[in-house]
Order: sequence, then structure tokens, then C-alpha cells
Amino acid sequence: MFFIKELTHTILLHPSYFGPRMLSFLESKLYADVEGTCSGQFGYIIAVVSILDIGKGMVLSGSGQAEFITRYRAIVFKPFKGEVVDGVVNNVNKMGFFADVGPLTVFVSHQLIHPDMRFDSNSNPPSFASDEQVRLSLQLARFFSPLIFLAFSSIPLLDFLSALMCSYILISQIIEKNTRVRLKIVGTRVDATEIFAIGTIKEDHLGVID
Amino acid sequence: MSDVDDSHMFDSDPVEQEEELEQVDEGHDEVRAIGRPQDEEDEEDEDEDDEEEEEEEEISGKKGKKRAKHRHKRSIASRFVDLEAEVSDEEEEEEEDEDYGADGFIETVDDADDDSGRRHYALLDKKRQMEDEEDKSPEQIAKDLSERYRRPAVRYTGDMNEVPQRLLMPSVNDASLWQVRVRPGRERDIVFSLMRKSIDVEYTARPLGIFAAFQRDSLPGMIYVEARSSKLVSEACNGLVGVFPSRGITLVPIEEMASLLQIKKQDLTVTPGSWVRIRRGKYAGDLAQVMDITENGEDVGLKFVPRIDLTPRDDAAIDAAGKKRKKPVTGAATMRPSQRLFNYEEVVKVWGRKQVSKRNQVYVFQNDTYKDGFIEKDFKLSGLILEDVNPTLDEITQFTRRQDGGEADNLVDLSIIAEASRKAAISVLQPGDHVEVFEGEQAGVHGVVEEIHQDIVIITAIGVDIEGQKVELQARSVRKRFKPGDHVKVMTGQNADETGLVVSVADNVVTFLSDMSMQEVSVFSKDLREAAEVGSGTNIVGNYELHDLVQLDAQTAGVIFKTERDSFRVLDQNGQVRLVQPHQISMRRDSIKAIATDSEGHEIRINDNVKEIDGEGRKGIVLHIHQSFFAFLHNREIAENGGVFVTRARSLASVAPKGNVMRPGTDLSKMNPSIGAPIGGMVGSGGMGRGPRDRDIGLTVCVVKGPHKGYVGTIKDVNGTIARVELRTGNKVVSLEKDKMRERLPDGKLVPLTGRGSQSNRGGYGGGGGYNNMGPPRTNYGNGASGSAGPPRTPAWGGGRTPNPYSTGEGRTPAWNASSRTPNPYALDGGKTPAWNASSRTPNPYASGDGGRTPAWNAGARTPNPYAGGSSGSGGASWGGATPGRNVSATSAPTTGWGGASPKSTGWGSTADGWGSSTQNPWGEWGAGAQTPAATAATPAFAYGAPTPAPMSAPTPAPSGWSASTPAASAWSAPTPASYGGDSMIGAPTPAAASSEWHQTGTSVDTEMRPDMWIFSQACANYQQRMKVMVKGTRIANYLNGDYEDRRGRILGATQVADEFQQTAMVRFDSGDERSISVKFLVPVLPVDIGDEALVTGEGQTRHLGKAVVLRDRAEPGELVTVSTKDSASTLFEVQTDSLVALYPES
Repeated sequence: MFFIKELTHTILLHPSYFGPRMLSFLESKLYADVEGTCSGQFGYIIAVVSILDIGKGMVLSGSGQAEFITRYRAIVFKPFKGEVVDGVVNNVNKMGFFADVGPLTVFVSHQLIHPDMRFDSNSNPPSFASDEQVRLSLQLARFFSPLIFLAFSSIPLLDFLSALMCSYILISQIIEKNTRVRLKIVGTRVDATEIFAIGTIKEDHLGVID
Repeated sequence: MSDVDDSHMFDSDPVEQEEELEQVDEGHDEVRAIGRPQDEEDEEDEDEDDEEEEEEEEISGKKGKKRAKHRHKRSIASRFVDLEAEVSDEEEEEEEDEDYGADGFIETVDDADDDSGRRHYALLDKKRQMEDEEDKSPEQIAKDLSERYRRPAVRYTGDMNEVPQRLLMPSVNDASLWQVRVRPGRERDIVFSLMRKSIDVEYTARPLGIFAAFQRDSLPGMIYVEARSSKLVSEACNGLVGVFPSRGITLVPIEEMASLLQIKKQDLTVTPGSWVRIRRGKYAGDLAQVMDITENGEDVGLKFVPRIDLTPRDDAAIDAAGKKRKKPVTGAATMRPSQRLFNYEEVVKVWGRKQVSKRNQVYVFQNDTYKDGFIEKDFKLSGLILEDVNPTLDEITQFTRRQDGGEADNLVDLSIIAEASRKAAISVLQPGDHVEVFEGEQAGVHGVVEEIHQDIVIITAIGVDIEGQKVELQARSVRKRFKPGDHVKVMTGQNADETGLVVSVADNVVTFLSDMSMQEVSVFSKDLREAAEVGSGTNIVGNYELHDLVQLDAQTAGVIFKTERDSFRVLDQNGQVRLVQPHQISMRRDSIKAIATDSEGHEIRINDNVKEIDGEGRKGIVLHIHQSFFAFLHNREIAENGGVFVTRARSLASVAPKGNVMRPGTDLSKMNPSIGAPIGGMVGSGGMGRGPRDRDIGLTVCVVKGPHKGYVGTIKDVNGTIARVELRTGNKVVSLEKDKMRERLPDGKLVPLTGRGSQSNRGGYGGGGGYNNMGPPRTNYGNGASGSAGPPRTPAWGGGRTPNPYSTGEGRTPAWNASSRTPNPYALDGGKTPAWNASSRTPNPYASGDGGRTPAWNAGARTPNPYAGGSSGSGGASWGGATPGRNVSATSAPTTGWGGASPKSTGWGSTADGWGSSTQNPWGEWGAGAQTPAATAATPAFAYGAPTPAPMSAPTPAPSGWSASTPAASAWSAPTPASYGGDSMIGAPTPAAASSEWHQTGTSVDTEMRPDMWIFSQACANYQQRMKVMVKGTRIANYLNGDYEDRRGRILGATQVADEFQQTAMVRFDSGDERSISVKFLVPVLPVDIGDEALVTGEGQTRHLGKAVVLRDRAEPGELVTVSTKDSASTLFEVQTDSLVALYPES
């Protein structure tokens, strides 16, 4: 889930950077430091929306460096258990597939994929698909090609065909790299600098999206 | 059970341990046969201890036997051991009382009555009722008492539950049971022998008088005989082989008689399909599956993974004779072969075809049968561990695997494992655990464990209707409950400490995705608990961690790609996978800083994303770099070796060039690099970088003064004026003052070190201060500067551009284009200096060979130098000679330039020797000197010096050119720094380049830079006779004994001749005498004062080249001076003083 969150970041500035361009140094440093990072507490910091306060810049005795405690507002992305998210399949293997949900990687185990979707080890790229559907799709193709012509002459047949088409589309889910999927996060592992999640598509309305 | 401690003591008895090793142990031994000396009061305590100990052992499932044999030993030992250390006397007392009571039930009512208050055996009461209380005589009572106290004993802990059997318990009135020692292994035979003997003599006069005999498999080496007295037993055993009545026929206490005959229920738990472990032998500890059980329940058919020695000792393998066939099985037990499914081909290969026979689907090898890769073998029940088998999932999956490697479906009944591990499950429950009830009335309920009492757990149910209720349950009927998404940690087993997210739960098997390996791992839920942290422990064994680069031996290093319980899988640099123990690793290697070069020559470092350019084109992140050659990469998508693979760094290419990735992340807490840069640039540039190292270090020197005079050595170190010289003779290092030595050139010439000193000051030249430490050269230079670029601000030195002495004063010689060719000062061609075309050949306008045409500008670019001696050397010679000549154009010109400057001559003088020797060849007999530069190129002094004047002297200001030919070492080196300092403008003039050019390009180069030929330039042609020249460099070259040195005069005539000949010019000196002087010793004299006439000769002065001008200002060497043409005084322009030659007034 995305949030706009006020956060702080502490920057140490070497005296050699003091001067007219100091602020721009600080800003670019802030962007470089925080954008794209992940904290377990807040999630991924996607982007800094605005800098609220660059900070006063206390010169630290001893080092001469100035410490700026910068307050900024950022868009953060924190995944939650039970959240339904959309992602792009990144990697498919026997165990399941990894999907990228923005910066987050979600693993969907084959156990959490509908059982009739099998790992198709012969496919390239590797994918999950179901045997019957593969067969069905072949049949449909054979079935459709002559019917297409007929369809234009008969409205009911067209309806029937479109219905068939729909069902075909519904079931012709093949999960391979770059397939877009909708999945539900069932668990997250939150480290200090990383979030990892596992997800499921074994529920209604989850799976491949077009 | 107050005397637990005794057993420890006895456990440590070595003899006993040995015995225990011998004996066949069984889990169900409850009967202890103990011998008890009848009349030894002393022994009573011992007995008691003994028996109690044995009780203790019963409980612990161990067994004691043959105790009697060692009784004395023990008693002796026990005398010195404080057995009662933890047992108070009262307890002892009380125990005896108890013992008394224990016996009472068998014996008298009175005693029983006495004890009844303390006794709580239900047994006792029942027994008492059975006894006839009245018919005991006092004697009997006394006997009972003594019996009781003599034999205090054992609280009977036999199974109390079986009430009916209790009624059948033997009493003192029954025959006793006697334990007899026999040869181990022959028990059964002896029992049968006894039986036959008994039957034989049954109806004879002397029947045996024994009632029964039996043996227990669990108690090897003894049989039990029921008889009224030991005498009868010994009679019965008499004559039987293998019976040792001499070792004692001991009475079995009544209480234990029953248990001797008891068959433990557990035996029944062995059912086909269940798991057992083999107790000893080659397969000790291995898991086996029960296939069948013989009817008597003693033998069990097992199936397990064989351990076949595939590397048998030769004799064993070769010897196919049946006799020795067993040998390897028993004998080769030193190294236990690893578990491996039977593979016919493998075994046949090693053991020979004869060793293996096939019957149906079964192979027979070494008397064992193998089916589907497993060995099938009968074991005695006693040789198996039936309890606490705890098969791990891994072990079990081994059984599911068929020989062909495929997984057989449902070969394993997980419920069996579940059953086996159920007990363990109880112990791993903790309050707070989420559990679910999977059997019983409450099945399906789940909740949180509140309390655990033994094997009862109280859970707070979570569910629809009984939400919040506390439910009491058997621990064995609950199991831990996990949901997909839970973060769990493995507590025990092979995957201990692994953490991950649960992806699925099937009954009690939980599958989770490991955090570290991203692999799915299946474990029993009992081994899991919920965990917050990410497991790291699983990847650390000892000091080594997953993906560490470890040194295996001197040549081999590898990366850990899998950690196991106490070992690693390591992929070494050769791509081999090794299983190593932590102790086999010599060290961990750090390759954080390691850099390798990829296929494109870019450096790759750790964590770079790279891709193979050949082979499989695998991508990965660099884990480690080994020896800058091997790169260990990691890619999770590769299943093999945990995603780690090794490649040559050379075959990699960066996937995402890092470029300036670091750029935005500049560390603002460090020094600002953009501020630091200029400073660093200064520090790093030029002389300062080399500053610390003295130029003299490494020179070959000859000591010219002091005790070491004449020695030759190499300067190893310099400290101020003291140098440490390693002498070639004697291999000594001595400290000497620098002025006591001379540099020794390869040709044997000696050069003063101080003269070279300027080289170490090269960097400072531009500042002019660099000259300070060189007296003569400085003066020299100062003079020269008056007519040329001033040292302090000579752009040539600072900016690396050599100013043209003849330039108009713009300070920048156009000719000095990027090609850094020496401009032709004589270029007549007004605005352009065609000579400086890309080919950069200096045309020789005077090429006599070409007669009328001006070959200088031809496209050929290589101007044959008519004056060149044919060898590069001669060209060089004319160079040098001509340069000085350049200035000698106007005798009337002020002499500040070169003339009378006495310091200059000092410079001469001081360095004349050095140069004289070293430059003799180049300047002197030049024709022969062709090879000289080559020879001397190696010498630093000459390498720098020699080429420098040649290419440099022409373009450089006259002084430098001049000094080039002069011996002043500083002057020599003067142009050199220029070439050094010249960062980009003057590429060619670097000494090395110059010297090589000298050799390689031969005449062309020479032609190109022929300052000495200036006299012949067209620019001068019209005014040749008026040009004021000065003789320079004759002393050093020993030209005409140097008599004409510094003398000025005008050129009467000069004609360029063929290169082979020395170029000479007829000079009329101011003194009036005339002499033909080699042009290379003639230098121009610069005009000085206002009104002086001069000729513009310098390169760059294209517009005015060859014009006679009149100075309108006082000329300063190296500066611009305002001049006007002679014709029109109003046409003022500026020229570089250095590019002028003073003219004598028109006569």
C-alpha cells in the first residue's frame, strides 16, 4: 500500500561543501540517499515528494562536519499481508514464480497456484499452464477457424462464440516471464533493509490479468 | 529411588562396560539375573546397591548382567568410593524398612502388619490374604526375618497393572530360578540339550530334578533353570559342553523371576512398514524399514540403503573365492562406506561380475540381497533400535527414491513417521504455540497452548463455537499449526536454524521457502516454530558462511555454495564440487578489493552484474574474484550448485556498466573532490611527483677523489650531498660526498653529477628558480634570455610550447601546432609555414640536390638534406653547429646575449670536461657519430641531453639551442624540461621520443630541425654578409682548440654544400681576421639597442621573415621588441627578440 509519509534523514556535510551550492548538495544527497531504499518500518521509499525542512546544519565539534536533519515527505510503499497487488512475473521456476510488485519481490509458490496450473518444464520461457487448457486452446483454435466465417452471418452464433472466447480467455492463463498477475500477499518477511513477500493466486479473482 | 548415584559409579566400571559391549542388549529387559552370595553379611549392602542399581537400570532401559561375576571387584571399589554420598543414613534405614516390607508380602503376616502402615502396595494386601497366617512357627518367623534382613532388596517395580498375573507370582514355596553361565551364543542349544537330557533321564533312578530351563535372547551367556536347589542345577548341567557352573549358579530373586519371563509389549510395535534403526555394525544408526517379521517375533526383515564399499582393498576385490567373501564385510569396517543405493553396474565394475548374481528382480551380492537398490536383510530384533527412531524427512525420502532416481508415489506412509515422531512432538510444544487438534473428539479445533502438564496440554480454543474455551487435550493429539505466510524457523534436524515463509501446510509437513536459499524446504511442523528473525545461522558453520571464498589448499580456492550441518559444499576454481569440513579450510579469503578484467578490458569487481560472453551465457552477480582470473558468480535462477558457478573473468562482460553509479551518491561527509582536485593535480604533476627520488639514484658513478678514487659504483641513495654508492668492486656500499664522484657514462666518459642536477629540477624550470642551484648555466641562461625568451616567463617552459626565437613576440609560435613539429625558422612563406604540414617534415630550403626548387615545401615532406652526412648523426651534428650560429649575425649587436658573459664561460669551463667527453662524438666527428646517440641514449644524461638539443634547439629559443651545444649541463637540460613540461603541445620532443626519432627518422628529422642551417635560409640570404654571428661551442667540441670561442663577426660567405660535407661559413671576425668556421658553431647575435639593425629570421615571423628591421625599443631576450622596417620608420611592429639577428651596418 502506498502512503505519503513524513520522514527524516540525517546528512553529514563536509566543510568543503559549505558555500552557495550547499543546499543543492544537500538536496541531491537526500534524493540519492533515500529514494529507492527500503526500511522495514516504512517500506520502500519510492520518491521524495517535497523537502519540508533541510535542517539547520549543526557543525559537529571535532570533525567540522555539519549535520543536517532533513525532514521530507515521501511516497512509501509498504506491503501488507492480505493485500492484493498487481505485479509482473520476473522469474518462473519449478517451485513457483517470482513477481515484481514495484520494488517488492513476491514469490508465489506452486502450492499457492491453482493446482491445475502445472509447471511446464518444456516451455521456453518456463511457464505455468494447465494441460487441459493447452489442449483446449488447440481445440478451440481448430474449432474457431471455420466458425469465424459462419459467425458473421449469424448473430446467435456470434454470441455463442464470444462466450466461448471469453471462457477461453479466462482459462488460457499462462504464467511466464513478463506476464502480469494479480496476487494476494499472504506473508511478508521484513528485514531492516529488505522486504520479501510470498503471495498466492489460488483464490478468486487472482491470477493473470490482461 | 534414592540411590541413583550408585549406578553411575558402576557404569563407569570398565569391566562392566566391556561386558555391556559384549552383550546383546534389548530394550525390554526387565529381568535381572543376579547372583547373591548367601552368607556374606559384608556383601549385603553391596547387594542392595547392586540390585537397586539394576532397578535403576531397568528404568533407564539399560541392563545389567554378569554382575555377580564382578561383585567382589565392585565391593572393593565401593569401599573406597563414598557410595552413600548423597544418601543419608535415614534413607538407608528407611529403605531397609521398605525392603523389609517388600519381602513381607511374601512372608509373614506379622511383618506385614508391622509394615502395613507404611506399605501401600495393593499387592501386599492381596498377598497377605492368601497367606495362611496361623501356621507359622516361631522358627519360621525367625527364618523369615533373617531372610528378610539378609536379603534386603528390591522394590518390585514390575508391571503392577496386571492383577490376575500377580496372583500367579512365584513364592518362596515355589522352586527357585537359577541363573547359569554358559557360552554366549549356545544358550538355546544348551537349553535344548538340557531338555533332552531331562527327558532321557526322566524315568530313570535319577531324574534331573529340574523343572524348566529357558534362555533369553536379550541375556546372552546365561540360561535359567528352575529347580529346588543349586545342587540340582549343577547336576543337571554336569556334562554339558558350554556350561560353566564354576562361574556360579546364582539364584534369581523371586521378584525378578516373573520379569524374566515377561515379553515386552513393545515388541509388538514392530509392524511391517515401521521404521527402526540398526543398532550396530556397518549400518549402525541407519534407518531401516521393516518389511516382515518372523512368527517368533525375533527376526525382522529390513530394507535399507546399503553401504557397499566401492573402493575395496585390492585383495578383497580380486579374491572372488567364497571363503574370503565375508572378509570385506567384517574386516573393512575401518572406513564406513557411504550410503548409496545398490547399482549393479557400479558394483560389478568394482567387485567383478562373479560377485553379483541375479535372481529374478533381486541381486545377490556378498550373501545379501538387493532389490530396487535397497538391501534386504534379516535382523534380530535385539539388533534394532525400536524407540526414538525419529526418522528425518531426508532419510525417509531416500526410501521413496527408486533406483532409477525417480520418485515413487506414496511409497512412504507419512503417518508412520508422524507416529514415530509423535512423542517428540509433545516435548517441543511451548505455551503460546498455535496448535490444532487432529484426532479425537476435538479434531479440527485449533488454539493456543496455555499450559502443559506432562502429556496433557490445555489450549485456548480459537474457533466459532468454542471460542476462548479452555480445552484439555492429550499432547499427542495436537500438533503445531502454521499458516501459509508464517515466518518460521526450524529448530532441529538437518535444516536447523533455517528460516522462511510457509508456503503450504499438508498435515504435519510444512513447506516453506527458505529466506537464504530461496528453495523450498519441507519439514515436520514439530520441528518448527514461528520466528521473527531471519535465519542466518543456517548459513554459518564455524567461521565460514555461505558464499565465502575459502582457501582449500595452496592452489585451490572455492566458494561455499551450501552449508550443511557441519560441512560445506564448495565449488572450487576448477568447477569441481567438494564436500569439505570446516577444518579442511585453511582460511577465508577476502576479495572485496579484487579486480579482474572482463572481456572488454573493463574492470569488474564484486557485486557487479555480469554475463558470460561465451559458453552458456549465464548471467550473475560477481561473488568473488580469485587471482584476477576466476570469477565466482551467483545467480539464483541457476539451480545447479546453489546458483554459484565459476568462470574466467576474461569471458565476462558487464551487463550494466556501472559508469558513474557512485556519482549521485557522493559522500558529502568527505572532502569535496572538486575542491581537492586542483590541489591534487598540482601535487601529482610534473616534478613534484618525482620529487622525492633523487635523480642521481641509480647512476653509475666513478669516484674521483678520496680513498675510493677510481672505484665505480652505483648510487643507491642520496642524502643531501652524501650519496651511498654501491661499489662494483667488493660489493660494498659506501657513503661518499657527491662532489667526489662523477657520473660515468657508458662510454666511459665522466660527467659531474652537479651538472646533471638540473634534471632533478626540471619541474621547477618554468619558474626560473629552478636555475638557482646552477651557477654557470644560470648566468648563461640569463644572458641568453636577454636575446630570447626569459626563463621566468618563457611560455615554452611553462606551457610546454617552445617559443620560437624568431617569433614576432606573440609568445606563441604558430608553427608549434599540435603536431609539435619544430617550425622552420626560415620559412619564407609569409603567413603560412607550409613546412609544418601534417607530415611535419621540415623542408630544407637549401637542399642543394634540388637546385632551383624549394624542396622544403614539397609534398614529399621528407626533405633530403643536402647537408646531411647521410647518417642521422651527421645531421645532428649540423644541427648543433648551426644553432649557435644563428645569433652570430651582427657583430655590432650588443653582446649581452652571448658575448662576453663571463659566467657563461664559467659554465663552459666547469662542464667542459663532461660535455667534451660526451658530446665529442655528436658535435665533433659527427660523421662517425651516427651510432653515438644510440649508444648514449641509454645514459640518462645523454638520453635527455642529446636528443634534446637536436629536435629542440631549433625551435627553442636561441639560448637553449645554444646551450644545447654548450657543455653547460643545465642548458642541456633546459629544453628537456620544456618538453617534459609541455603537456600536450609538444609531444614529440620528449626525450625518449626525441631520441628515437633521432635514430629512426634519420635525416628527415634532422632536416626538419636544422637550426644550424639557419645561415643558409632564404631569409638570411640577402643579408648573409651582414649578419652578426658569434662562435659558440667550439671549446666543448674542441673545434680549432676553441680559439675562436665567443668571437663575433660577420659572414662573408656561406654556401650550402652536400650533406656529406661539413657546412662552413667564412667569417670575418671583428678583429679583422677571417676564418672558415663550421656553421654549427655559429650562433646569431641578438640585437639589443634602439636603432640596431636586425634581420627577422625566426619562424613564425612569417610576415616579416627575411626583413631587415630597426629596433625601436631596447630588446630584451625572450621578449617582444618593437621594430620598424628600415625603409619606413612608421611601420612599427613587434617581433620576438629571439627571432632577430643583429646586422652589421651596411657598409
